[in-house]
Formats: sequence, C-alpha cells, structure tokens
Amino acid sequence: MEDEVRKRIAEMLDSGEVTAVIALKDVLGMTTPCVFKKGDDLSSLRLSPHYPLATLAMKMHKMDPEYKIAILCRGCDERALLEMAKRNQIDMDKLSIIGIACDEETAKDCNCSVPYPSCEDLIGEKLEELELGDAFEDYKRMSTAEKLEFWKKQFEKCNKCYGCRNICQMCFCKDCELENELWLKKGRLPPDFPVYHLIRAFHLAGKCVGCGECESACPAGIPLMTINRLLRDDMKELFDYVVGNTEEVNPLYTKEEF
Amino acid sequence: MEYETVLTTCPYCGCGCKYYIEVIDGVAKDVLPCKEDPISQGKLCIKGWNAVDFVYSGDRLKTPLIKENGKFREASWDEAYGLIASKFKDIKGTHGANALGLLSSAKTTNEENYLMQKFARSVIVTNNVDHCARLCHASTVAGLAAAFGSGAMTNSTPEVEEADCILITGSNTTEQHPLIGSRIFKAKENGAKIILIDPRAIQLSKFADLHLRQRPGTDVAWINGFIHVIIEEGLADEEFITTRTENFEELKELVKDYTPERVEEITGIPKEDLVKAARMYAGADSASIIYSMGITQHTTGVDNVKSCANLSMVTGNLGKPSTGVNPLRGQNNVQGACDLGALPNVFPGYQAVVNPDFREKFEKAWGMAEKIPDNIGLTVVEMMNEAHKGNLKCIYIMGENPMISDPDITHVKEALENLDFLVVQDLFVTETAALADVVLPGTSFLEKDGTFTATDRRVQRVRKAIEPIGDSRPDWKIICELAQRMGSKGFEFKSPKEIQDEIASLTPIYGGITYDRLDELGYLQWPCPNAEHAGTVFLHKDKCSRGPGHFFAVEYKPPAELPDEKYPFTLTTGRILFHFHTGTMTRRSEKLNKEVPTGYVEINPQDAEELGIKDGEKVKVSTRRGTIDIPAYVTRKVPLKTVFIPFHFNECAANMLTNPALDPIAKIPEFKVCACKIETIGE
Ligand code: SF4
Ligand code: SF4
Ligand code: SF4
Repeated sequence: MEDEVRKRIAEMLDSGEVTAVIALKDVLGMTTPCVFKKGDDLSSLRLSPHYPLATLAMKMHKMDPEYKIAILCRGCDERALLEMAKRNQIDMDKLSIIGIACDEETAKDCNCSVPYPSCEDLIGEKLEELELGDAFEDYKRMSTAEKLEFWKKQFEKCNKCYGCRNICQMCFCKDCELENELWLKKGRLPPDFPVYHLIRAFHLAGKCVGCGECESACPAGIPLMTINRLLRDDMKELFDYVVGNTEEVNPLYTKEEF
Repeated sequence: MEYETVLTTCPYCGCGCKYYIEVIDGVAKDVLPCKEDPISQGKLCIKGWNAVDFVYSGDRLKTPLIKENGKFREASWDEAYGLIASKFKDIKGTHGANALGLLSSAKTTNEENYLMQKFARSVIVTNNVDHCARLCHASTVAGLAAAFGSGAMTNSTPEVEEADCILITGSNTTEQHPLIGSRIFKAKENGAKIILIDPRAIQLSKFADLHLRQRPGTDVAWINGFIHVIIEEGLADEEFITTRTENFEELKELVKDYTPERVEEITGIPKEDLVKAARMYAGADSASIIYSMGITQHTTGVDNVKSCANLSMVTGNLGKPSTGVNPLRGQNNVQGACDLGALPNVFPGYQAVVNPDFREKFEKAWGMAEKIPDNIGLTVVEMMNEAHKGNLKCIYIMGENPMISDPDITHVKEALENLDFLVVQDLFVTETAALADVVLPGTSFLEKDGTFTATDRRVQRVRKAIEPIGDSRPDWKIICELAQRMGSKGFEFKSPKEIQDEIASLTPIYGGITYDRLDELGYLQWPCPNAEHAGTVFLHKDKCSRGPGHFFAVEYKPPAELPDEKYPFTLTTGRILFHFHTGTMTRRSEKLNKEVPTGYVEINPQDAEELGIKDGEKVKVSTRRGTIDIPAYVTRKVPLKTVFIPFHFNECAANMLTNPALDPIAKIPEFKVCACKIETIGE
C-alpha cells in the first residue's frame, strides 16, 4: 500500500496538480505528520499511526487559501474535511484527497463502521460489510444510577489538559465553551462534574467523525469513544443524521458556534 | 509554506514527555503529542500543551541590559561581557575566588549545567556553585546516596503501572507529574493497591485504597511505625535483609518504640489504618514508593528519605521491577543539573570535590594552572546568608528566580541588594533580574540544542525548533563566550554535541551517551558507562551501588517551628497543576494564567467559619518572617488548623512566609511546615 501511495504522491507533485502533500513520515524512528514537496525523497513515507492531518490542512488553508494541497486521508479524515467544509473552515475545491482504506483490525479498534473515504481511486481494500457488534453491551446493561456512578469515577480522573479538545479535528471554535466561566469554575482539578465533559460531548454530537484521537490523547484513560459512539447512535436514531454525508448539515448546528 | 515538526522534550516537569513542535515558516505554532514516545504515549498535561506560548511573550529580553543610576539600558554583548569580565576579575583579585558564587539552573540543558560548573571551578576557581535542587531534592540526593550509593530514582516511569502496590507520600502526582499520575490510574485499573499518605485531600485520595493524613512533618514517625508493624507481624523479607543489607539490628531496636499507639499520638494517623497500610505495603509482590517534596522539604528531609529507603529494604522492595524508592524530580532537568555537578560538593557524575584524585582529574582535563579548592562550596541558602553578611560579593545566576523560589524572600532581597555585583541570565526581567547589575538574554528550550535528564535518569534530546528571539543567545554560548572573554581556555565548543562528548569523557555514568545514540534510541537511562551499554532501567539489581544497602536508625524529630498561641496554624506550601515554580513561564501563557490568575490560601471550612472568612475573601496570612494579603479558598482539601499556599505568585508570595531553617546535612529549607496566623482584613 505504501508504494501505491508514494506513486500517487509523486504523480500529483510532478504534474503540478498540487504544491504540497500532507502525509506521515518516519523521522528518528517515529512517525510524524509532514508535508512533501516536489522532489522530496518519499522513502520515509508512513501510513500509521493516525495523526489529525485534517487539522493541519485547515491550518495551512487558513494561512493561504490559494495553496493547493493534497492530503493523505482515511475515512475519518475525509469526514472531518467534509464537516469542516460545511462550516467554512476549508475549501474542498482546493484540496485533493489521497484516500486509503483501514484494515479490519484498525476499524474494529476504532469502532468505525465506514473505515474508508468515499473517493473513487481508493488505495487499499474497502471493508463494506464490517460487523462491529455491540461493544457497549456491559455498559448498556447498567442502570441509570450505575451509569452515573461509572462516569463520575471516570471523569474524576480528568487532568483538565484540554487534550481531547486540542487534538480533535472537529474542535475549531474560536471561543471554546469549556473555557467559559458561565458554565464551570476555572482552575479546578478535576473540572466540575459533569458539565466539563458534557459540554464537549454535546458539542461534538453530529460533528464527531470517530477518529479516536481524543481518547488516545487522554492521560486519564477516560473512555471518551464510548460517549462518542453512543451519541453517534443517538444522532442516527433521533435525527437520522450521519456525520460526513455531503447533502445536509447537522440539525444541531448553530451559526454562532465559531 | 514550509512545515516541519521538531521532536523535543518538555521544559516543565521531570516526567520528560517528548512531543513535536509544529513549525511553519520558521515560527513555532503548536505542540503536537508524539504517539510513539514511551513516556507521554501521545498524551500531555495542560502545561505541555501550552509550552510554546511563553516563548513569544512580548517582554522577552532581546538584548543585554546594564543598570545605570538604578535604571536598565540596552547594551551590546561586547560591552556586557567586558563589564562582567572586569568585575569578576576585580572581585576575585580583591576578595578571593570564594567571594563569588554561581547559581546554575534546572531549567537549562545538561550541557549548560556542565559549563556553568566548569566556569565556576576552572574560570572563577571556586566550588560555590549550586542550583534549585537544593530547595527540592537535596535531601534525596544525600539520603539515597547514603543508603544505596546513588541518589536517584531507583526505578523507571513506565514500571509504575506494573506495580502491585504503590505508596505515594508527599507527592500530588496528578498535578505535579501528570504523566506519572496517569500511570498510577493505570496501575489501579490493573488491580494495584494504592496507599496515599498526605495531609491534604488531593485528586488521588478518591482512588486510594487507604488515605492516611499525617500531621505535616511527622513522616519519620509513621515510617518507623510501618517498619514496627512489619517486623512484629513477621512480614519483613529476612533473606533480603541478610544478604543485601547492613545495620538492620540498630533499626530493629529503634522501631520497637514506634508502636501504632505512639505513632498515632505523633502523627494523628489512626493506629488501625497504620497497621492496615503497613500490611498492604508489605504484602504486595512488588511495592513501589513514590515521593516528592512532602518528604524532602523538611529540616528532617534526609531522615525522611533514609526512612523511605529503610521501608523498601525491610520488605525487599529494591532492585526489582516496579519496586524501589522513587523520588519524582520537579524540574524538567533538575536530575541532569545534579548529575552534571552544578552542586558545591561534587563534580559531574557525583565525583566528590574533597577527593584529591577527582580534583586532579578535572584540573588536568580542563588544562588548569590553578588548583580547584578542596573545600565544599556554598549552597543556595548559604550563599544568601553570606551575601547578607557581606562575605559573598558577587553572584552570577542563570535561569533561577530566588526572589520567588527561596524561603524568606525579605532576607533574600536584602542579601542580593548587599552584593557588589549581580549578573542574571534569563528570558525575562524576573523579580531577581530586576535587582541585577547586568542582565543577559538567554534562550528558551525551543531555541537551542541539548539534552535534559528526566526524573527516571532518562537522558533525552532537546532540539532547536526556531532561531533565538531578538539578539538573545543560547545559554551554553553565553557561558563559553564569557569564559573566553576572561581569557580561559577549554570553552571553544561549537555545538552542544561537542560539550556532550566532553561530558561523556569525564562522567562515568554518562560515559556511553552520545547524540548519535540518542537519535537512534530516543533516550538512554544512566548509568550508561560505555558506547555498548544499553542504559539502566532500574538501579541496585543484585547489589546496591554502594555494596550492601545501609539501614539508618532515625528518630522522629519535630519540625523547626510548630504552631503556638500566637501563630496557631500550620502553613504548608507547594505547586499546582496549572503553574510552574516561580511562574516566569506559565504566567506568560495565556491559557494557564486564565485557569489560575493569582494565588490563594486553602483553609478548612470549619476554621474559616470560626474566623468569619468567606470563600474568595482576601485575608492576611503572617508568620514570624512576613505577611501577605491573599484570597481565601475555603475547601475541605486541607485538614483543620492547616493551610496551604501555592508558591508561584509574586503578588502573594508564599515564600515571604516560609521558614529558612535547614536540614543539617542537605541544607534544604523547611518549606513544608511553619507556624502562621490568619486574620480578616475586611476586603
Ligand atoms: S471527538 Fe474524538 S473521535 Fe470525535 S472527531 Fe474529535 S477527536 Fe475524533
Ligand atoms: S483529554 Fe482526558 S484528561 Fe484531558 S481534558 Fe480531556 S478528558 Fe480530561
Ligand atoms: S507531564 Fe510534565 S513533561 Fe509531560 S507535558 Fe506535563 S509538564 Fe510536560
């Protein structure tokens, strides 16, 4: 797969279709986000672990809206870009996508039902009929009181690092409500229960693309993807809304949010 | 658009998280966690996430400053060096080399600490060089070296999550070492028992299987109590004691008197809890002690540390994975600053200055004509005392801020003002730099290369991400240029890499550490004696560094100043999650400063009610040394008759109040206990 991606990157840069390709590469034995330009050595290209590349695309786009970028894209990254575009954070016309499909293990780890981007020239095998099963059976069996207790214990570990927000490709509001003293006191550890975590959860409902970055950035080991998955199911059930679709915007979307 | 990420090491706490700095067109934009870094594993605390902010703070020093008629004016490097060189020479000529003192910095790199002590010992020719480790872990370095032969954390950060039992005392780990705190949570989820011994209720209290709240300053008593119970109940590891240790009988005799009843009287810990905790610790297959300043910052700091060592050895919890005695070092590079000899009693690698062989070794290596003095130099607090008395004439400070960090600030200020000449090298005009005659603009971690050593002896690279701001210069360069200006040889380094090569050649524990190996392996844990050595994950396997582990029979001694009628409260001080030390960096980070914009005094609701104090109201806190006005935070975190003040804030500086009474061996001041009173001021 890596070789195919290398070929695609080289073609796009050589033909002048794009000026820069956002991808991953190996530096000092570790994978880091990077930008490839024409003539760069592509042998160091890597495809994992996942990093929030859509955020980098957005940053570069905001610095120079005319800059032509291609981006290495998994299913979640493409959904992120599409949702960003709906909120005027990025212009999809200025962006080319190098789509790669995730393997079964990765998809299951992420609880992802659409582990591939929608582009036609997808690299890798598309896993369409993936059986995720119900990963939250134990959780769902709990009574409401037990669930409250469960989250209380989890959120009490919170280090208030804001890492879940900082790393999130979908968190780009200028003034984050997590920092609004109307809702919670600043400087407290753990942050006020449950408002700190619920603000984020609700603001990501219908927006979260399921990339898993928040949970992997959480020093407290809080199962944030459980919340995200439950909200994803609710959005489908209550509003019939699926994140990353190209037709409609999130029914909970408010124009004031960024 | 040019984008690159630079992998570097966090400049805040001793956990040693590595992360990427995202640089676009030469400007450091953001911090991005590195998923494959073994310490952070892609997670960071709020300080790490915000580590770029302060670097671009508008008030960064951009040129040297010289004070004239009480005011600073900008100066060229040439003029500043000229002035400093002639003053240093004059003072040395008139009053002797020991009239000068140097303070190195736990915030700067290993290479810079090495150079600073080399400058002290080979250019000025004095052992008067120290740094803020004196104020945090001097007692660790002394205590553990005496007991085991090495004064460092015995085990490694990743091992924490595999322990069966973790005893945490005097460490608010989730606030001060968040990425070690997160491993304590993991250990708990893996089934480990957590024992917390701390006067305050902290985040970890809710996760501890047992939380014992001792009276501040009674640690030797509860530890002796633990050992009493362990021996009484036959839980001691006889085999370990016989084969690996010495002097056990003396300790055994001493702890006979520390019955749970007596310990309860001294410490306030209910005797049933003490027994339960002792059994829990002794019953675990692998039990790890984690401690920090709650143990060290006492007049009995060394005794406390030796007691922790006793406890680990009695149960055989040493020299094995996930055990040991694990002091968490506060600063990003306080371990390295000690390792590289920025201490008045040792050369790099803890080679004692009183040993003539070591003196000769360094005199020769540094090509010196003069002899390095055979006496131990002055420590931080002693320098201030000698300056106050007029014996010390000049101090050169790199990256430290004693005007906030040292005990009894009024005394510090008088001392610094009493000097003939003060040079401060820093990023900003700190409270200390404001008193200087010359201020030199150093650079932040983003603007230079080097290495930091994390709390678990982990040497890691700091990599330059951006060019120095203004006309500031990397600290290693400043020291080299100043030394050359003073006519000294041996400072012709072109890069920190070359400095590390000299370090490796003279420092056996760093002997196998090179930049190439660090690039390849990511880190190396000392001792790493040669280029083939893979580094040392945990110390004292099979045998302690000194041979047999030594038991010290230590009696409990009360703190230097206890509450009385006039000053009825116990004051204890410390740090909080959102800030770091003297706030020079964190208070210039918008996000951090917004979380906690100023200091406060934590007071128990019952005490607050008796005194008629409401939450948020400004009160007056006084001790025999000073008075501050500070908002009250009414909270059950502190027990009755005990108050807590974070020390980061100059407008309500805890160290106006603290007691400079010293531990007799380590010379660490008693920041953790003094007597105070609280009054309302109707604001
Ligand atoms: S909330 Fe978490 S999973 Fe969802 S988009 Fe943000 S980082 Fe990804
Ligand atoms: S990443 Fe985890 S610890 Fe950090 S703020 Fe979010 S939930 Fe809390
Ligand atoms: S835990 Fe320590 S090293 Fe890690 S990001 Fe926070 S301050 Fe930096």
